[in-house]
Parts: sequence; C-alpha cells; structure tokens
Amino acid sequence: MKTKYIFLLSLTFLFACAEDSQSPVGNGGNGGSGQGGSLARFAIIDDFLYTAGENELNIFDISDPTAPELSASTFIGAGVETLFPFGNFMFFGTQTGMLIYERNPEDGNVTFISQYEHITSCDPVVTDGQTAYVTLRVTGCRTAAAGATDVLESISLDDITAPTILDFKEMNSPQGLGLDGDFLFVCDSSAGLAVFDVSDPANLLEVNRIEGITAHDVILSNGTLLVIGPDNIYQYDYTNAPELSLISQLELQ
Amino acid sequence: MKTRLSLLFLLISLTSCFERMVDIPEETIGIAPIYGDESDKEIKILEPQEIGTLFKIYYKFPYIYAGEFGRGLHIIDNSDPSKPEKIAFLQILGNTDIAIKDNLLYANYENDLVAIDISDLDNIQIVHTLENVFASYSGDLFPIGYNGFFECIDPTKGTVIGWTEKILVEPQCWR
Repeated sequence: MKTKYIFLLSLTFLFACAEDSQSPVGNGGNGGSGQGGSLARFAIIDDFLYTAGENELNIFDISDPTAPELSASTFIGAGVETLFPFGNFMFFGTQTGMLIYERNPEDGNVTFISQYEHITSCDPVVTDGQTAYVTLRVTGCRTAAAGATDVLESISLDDITAPTILDFKEMNSPQGLGLDGDFLFVCDSSAGLAVFDVSDPANLLEVNRIEGITAHDVILSNGTLLVIGPDNIYQYDYTNAPELSLISQLELQ
Repeated sequence: MKTRLSLLFLLISLTSCFERMVDIPEETIGIAPIYGDESDKEIKILEPQEIGTLFKIYYKFPYIYAGEFGRGLHIIDNSDPSKPEKIAFLQILGNTDIAIKDNLLYANYENDLVAIDISDLDNIQIVHTLENVFASYSGDLFPIGYNGFFECIDPTKGTVIGWTEKILVEPQCWR
C-alpha cells in the first residue's frame, strides 16, 4: 500500500513536471550530458550511465567520471533495441514490445512496471509521460513477424501499469522519432520526415512531410531538428511547426 | 546426426511459426567485415573522413557526433548551424553507441567500455577501460546493433576491425 502511494506521488510529480516544461522530450541532455537520438542505446542520467545490450541493461556508476564502475546488469528481455529515460521511468523498445521500468534515483537500479506487447518488429519509443509513441518497422527488419506492418502507434500511459493503444497510422518504414509539445517528428526512411499534430494523441494527424530526403533518426534541440540519414545530416528550424525550414545540410566531402 | 536433424526440424518449425521465412536475395546491399591486425584497432583522432553510412547521432553543443557504423564518429562543429563543418574523425572500431558528460565520452569499444577525455581533440586521452562488460553484444560473431544481411565472418582472415557497406550476392548471414 505504501509503495503504491509513493508510486502515485511520483507519478503526480512526473506529470506536473511534464506539463510545466516546454522543452523538447529528448534522450539525455541533462546536467552536462549530451543528447542522443531515439535509436540510442546509451543514456546518462545524473551519476549513472545506462547501456542497453541485446538482452540486458548495464548500469554504470560514473560518480567518479574518470573511473566508471559497473554497478548492475539486469536482464530486460530479448531483442532490446532502444532505451528512453523519462523522469523516474525508463522506456525500452524491444522487438516484441515496449517495456516500462521505474528508476530508483538513489542507486540507479530499475524495476519492471509494465509492458505493451506488439507483433515482432523493430521499434524505438519516445514519451512525454502521458502518451508513448512507438514506430514499428518491418521493412529491413529481419526479425519482423509475418503480418506485421509499418506503423506509428500512440499509447496511453494514464495507467502506467497497463498501457493501452490510442491510435495508429500506417507508415512507409518508420524509424526514429522525436516529440516537442503538440508535434511529433517521425523519420520514415526514404519517404522522408513526417510531422504529426498530436494535440489529441487518440487522433494522430499528419500535418506535414519533407520528401526527397532519407531520414533515420532525429534530435530536437532549441527549436532545431537534427535529422540523420545514411549519408547526410539535415537541420531544420521547427519553431513555426508544422512548417519546417531547412537551415543546412552537411557537405558530403 | 539425429539430434542435428531434429534441431533443424525444430528450427524450421519455429521459423515458420514466429518469423517469416528469410528470402535470401540474389543481390542486396549489406555490410561486410573489415579484417586487420590488433595494431589497427587503436582509438585515435583522424583527419575528417568522407561520409559512408551514418548510423547514430549524438549532440552536445557545439559538436554533432555522427556515428559511422562500426568505425567511429565524425565530429562536426555546429557552432553555426547554417554551416556545420566536419573537423575530425574519432576512430573507435566496433563502436555502436556513445554518451557524453562534460568532457568525457563513454563509448563501447567492441565489448569494452572506454571513457575518453575529449577536451582537447588534438590530444585525446583514454582515461578508463572496463573490459568485457558488453559480453552479450556478441560483437565477435555479429555486427553489433545491425539488422540486415551481412557477409559472414571468416575468423581465419584475422580480427574484425570494422564493417563496411557492400553489395552482397546471396548472403548467408543475417540478423
């Protein structure tokens, strides 16, 4: 009972944070650390470095930054592909579903909370604490099950112990994604970069799409989108989202 | 022999149940191992390199770190986002992921975790190595964090020091 109460408290706190904050939801970027894309397997939170292997999560204590120590290695599940920390939670994209763990800020350890299962495919996840967004990719995903399709899904976290699907949209070959407020940016491989209005997460609306680029992953930073493709890096100003204006693309040579 | 047969049978039935059968293409774009000596494996700063196949991205102002699959990172000066410029290439063979805090870059170096002081790019320092902490990456057998076809590793050719994109004919390895 007590645990449950504390959990509820931490949830309330989490949501309060999420609503106050207008900054983009990103992988890392706190207290002197940088930011990864949604396909990242490494993340630094405070004095801990988290690394997702194929099956397990390694937790390194970096309180002495020059002498990291492996403090724990936890079995998470088969086919872990991405990790995405949010508040005291950690979301894992695995080939069979999205897993939610709670993180103890004291010792850095994680405990299982819930799981949202989907048909086997390749998938990263991002969240603002209220809704999680996952892309499920079949194209180029050798492990994908028969019948799996390329989709974007929104998943309600109203009850974080029982995530439920809100909506889905068919995509070309969706990969990394990034979220800021009401806008979700989804890399759709050779079909470019899609912008969704997610002000109503139960009704995913594609409101813009940049075509003619190949997009694999994205980082949101101060109104700028960094989009990575296999052979280029594009930067877009998204302060007037859903409109995007190209700032630059990297010289290839 | 019998065990082997039944294992094969089990594999086939498993595959048909849970995964679609893999259609091996006559020709496809995949990756192939680069072989070398242990001495080629040093972590070091090189001149800016041509973009091959970008894989991961990490941002810590003013630098963008763009991962080149299994080879290392393009370091891109993004002080002026309208003119990003490649300034160096950090070779970390077998690398797939990084995270940076302050001046320390943490990377997997195949199965090891290395902490690299990058405060002076002309003089990077490996300040710590934790060996074999990523055992289940199985980097010796598979390209780490890659899903797709690849040229099977031939251990008689030496140590795998990286991966490169290649057109593969009837590839026999995939994941």
